[in-house]
Amino acid sequence: MPNIDRREFLKLVGAGGVGAGAGFMLKESKKDPTEYLIPYVVAPEDFSSGIATWYNSVCSMCSAGCGISVRTREGRAKKIEGNPSHPVNQGRLCGMGQAGLQVLYNPDRITEPLLRTGERGAMSFEQITWEDGLGQLAERLELLRAARRGNNVCLLSEGTNGHLAQLFESFMRQLGSNRLHHYDFDHPHTLYAANQGFFGQDHLPYYDLQNTRLLLSFGADYLTNWISPLHHSLGFGASRQRQEEERGRFVQIEPRMSISGAAADEWVAASPGTEGILALGMANHMVSQGVYQGADRAAWSAALSDYSPSMVAEQTGVSESTITRLADDFAGTQPSLAIGGGAAANHSNGVDMLVAVNVLNYLAGNVGREGGLLFNPQPAGTVSRPHQASYRSMLELAEAAQQGEIDVLIINGTNPVFTLPAAAEFREALDAIPLVVSLSSFFDETTVLADLILPSNSYLESWGDNFPEAGVGFRVGAVSQPVVSPLYNTRATGDIILSLAQRIGMSSTIPWTSMEECIKDGWRRIYEQGDPQTLAQGFEEFWISLLKAGVWGETTTGTTSFEPDQNIIADIGVAAPEFSGSEQDYPFILHPYLSPNFHDGRGANLPWMQERPDPMTSVVYGSWVELNPTTAEELGLIEGDLVDIESPHGQVLAPVFIYPAIMPNVIAMPIGQGHSEYGRYAKDRGANPLEILSPQMEPITGNLATSATRVRLVATGRHIDLVKTSGTSRDLGRNIVQTTGDEGHEVSDAGLNSIPITELT
Amino acid sequence: MKISIVPALKVLRPAALLVLVAVVGLGVGYWSNATFYTDTSPEQPIAFSHQIHAGENEIPCMYCHTQADRSPSAGVPSVSKCVGCHNEVATEQPQIRLLMSYWENREPIPWIKVHDLPDFVHFTHKRHVLAEIECQTCHGAVETMDTVRLARRNIDGTAQYDHTWEMRLCLDCHRENEVENGTDCWTCHK
Repeated sequence: MPNIDRREFLKLVGAGGVGAGAGFMLKESKKDPTEYLIPYVVAPEDFSSGIATWYNSVCSMCSAGCGISVRTREGRAKKIEGNPSHPVNQGRLCGMGQAGLQVLYNPDRITEPLLRTGERGAMSFEQITWEDGLGQLAERLELLRAARRGNNVCLLSEGTNGHLAQLFESFMRQLGSNRLHHYDFDHPHTLYAANQGFFGQDHLPYYDLQNTRLLLSFGADYLTNWISPLHHSLGFGASRQRQEEERGRFVQIEPRMSISGAAADEWVAASPGTEGILALGMANHMVSQGVYQGADRAAWSAALSDYSPSMVAEQTGVSESTITRLADDFAGTQPSLAIGGGAAANHSNGVDMLVAVNVLNYLAGNVGREGGLLFNPQPAGTVSRPHQASYRSMLELAEAAQQGEIDVLIINGTNPVFTLPAAAEFREALDAIPLVVSLSSFFDETTVLADLILPSNSYLESWGDNFPEAGVGFRVGAVSQPVVSPLYNTRATGDIILSLAQRIGMSSTIPWTSMEECIKDGWRRIYEQGDPQTLAQGFEEFWISLLKAGVWGETTTGTTSFEPDQNIIADIGVAAPEFSGSEQDYPFILHPYLSPNFHDGRGANLPWMQERPDPMTSVVYGSWVELNPTTAEELGLIEGDLVDIESPHGQVLAPVFIYPAIMPNVIAMPIGQGHSEYGRYAKDRGANPLEILSPQMEPITGNLATSATRVRLVATGRHIDLVKTSGTSRDLGRNIVQTTGDEGHEVSDAGLNSIPITELT
Repeated sequence: MKISIVPALKVLRPAALLVLVAVVGLGVGYWSNATFYTDTSPEQPIAFSHQIHAGENEIPCMYCHTQADRSPSAGVPSVSKCVGCHNEVATEQPQIRLLMSYWENREPIPWIKVHDLPDFVHFTHKRHVLAEIECQTCHGAVETMDTVRLARRNIDGTAQYDHTWEMRLCLDCHRENEVENGTDCWTCHK
């Protein structure tokens, strides 16, 4: 033992102390962090911690109007599911509907009212109070109203129905303006016009997919985005699961195979824009064979005489035998149903094409019959169908703005700068408007150009109601209620309009102080028109049960009888489609299609949607252009080669994707990407094919013929690797997918190679 | 040439004792923290006594922890619940004045969690309360505690639970009571 002197001793004490301290801290660092139990100051009445509360409401991600049930905990929305009681979606919900949570919690939401400080589009805004923002706008509106220049105010909204649409209407009427437009890129203008023209019906009929035994779809991608995709998916599923003899057969006619095409029993590629001619060719065959319902053989024969199967085969590129076979099947299978939409309805002959589809339904006796098409009753609550702005109306609006006829433009939820082609020059038109107000809660391409932003709540924070269009054959309505309190300093669109009305002094005609009151009042009127049994329970009771169920229905059905006008029969005919750009310079027809992930682009700011592989190509993120393998080979292009897609009106850049199920003279691009704004997840990703569309219109409706643009491809010599989850779409002899033919049950090992590309010429 | 590390070690010899003492110190420090600073009975923002409430005044557990039979979490009473009684009861006590100051400022009381399961355990009070398991089985004789603490194993090992939540305690009970799927991983870890 060495001698320990004083210095040594102090060293040892020091070492021991440091050691002990280090040991103490070591243990301390290994402990779990302190957790707290934070109680409420006052316990909320509508929920208990740890217990989920479900609210029934309405989805607003697209216009189908599905019912949703939202699971909330501790006042926060956690999960969105379908409302099982709602007849439209019956408990199901699509990907976009599920991703509604990311609208609510999106980090790019506008959280405060903003006033522009710098140049337009320079994104310099200052935060203002609601009092200030509403005051400034109300003052402007009041001055215009007093000067009898109310018509210089335009309200441009996304598609709404129910009492919000009515509120818009009475507000604008009070201002003295008839410039109330609802604008949705995918609104089926041509379908409404065709049904109005042929059936004389203002509302869409109910297409009974569930009970049909043969569905002919002329371009309508009914499983992805046509009118009410979830409802159609349910019908499709139910029809497919019936026994062999009863099971529905599905035939899809389109130039590029959509999801509905992939799910169909038969896929027929007709030349783009000739779908209506094909329909009339089938009608001609039915009439000439005498296998059709109805009288007036002479009238029908005369009207359809130009559409002999041989002539139609030449125009459409579909063989005569296929035309007569499909026509015989369609007439012989009861009940059958023909529908039309998608790209086929967005040509210069869109309305005539859809009338031709109605003709098929009429001749096969499918009108007003279960398994065919059934007329919907007049929806409860709505006075008239809100005016939907076509492309032509939007051009007129832009023109009026350029003429200085628009002083104030209020934009609610729609994004025309993104969805209108550059040729419409809508962005330039906005420059001519002195005050642009946006009620959007995101900095989309239109909102960045606004002078005043009054951010609205997300649909999960708002009161509203919805009367699904197309309905389900009987009267249905649903109330949308806030499932959470507003997360930020935003207000519901209806409440913004109500406070403006109040400030301008419209309280005699618009008496409500909140949207909740307005909705409740509207439903009181529906309740009062109801049957005596409902009236017996008292309104409050009715209202509570309505909120609980989230949906209301009445067994009222629409008319079942229909006879076409003689003049209409004589006028039937489908002209050849018109395309913009010469075939020589622009050899390909551009087929833009609504992406199942982003719809018309509104879903591009939702990360879940960006992450979801496209169902047909499995590509994730970004855009691509689909080419037939033979076309790609001719051009010497392989997957991932970057090409410029040039139309007479501009160009976009996208990588090539080889897609076997597309006609060789058609190239397809998904819509939805290519945002220059719209938040961190959407911005600068992919390309927007809508930019380069030519401003070709359908003459009756003024609907933009989105499928009528010719393009050429210019290779850039650059190449990228597409991000996708599948290796190849071909079976390559691996026997992964076995298919059986129509005749008997021979097993073919061709897999996806068995797609009948022989029809492609 | 021979290479040896001995010369290098020789240099370190004077420090050897120092290192030894430091290592012993480390152990002592670690042990003393683990033994005397277990945080099983943390000091709460208000010295609330379960002994007075549940013991002497025999207030049932579920009078305050109202959700125990219908929610995963038993629920901590809201400040308004405390005030509901203490508007009238023991108003002059300093701790009650402290409570009233939280109430007047509309601030929640930041209680420190004593019974804290790891986040990867999915425990629900509802099922256990409905199965008529006594609260004391897991929480100890709370009605006798002035300050709530995690119960400890006795020197002779008689207590059924340790001062940490251990999985075997759950499993022992599940086995003993023959709980359906009671030993399935997914029952608790999901």
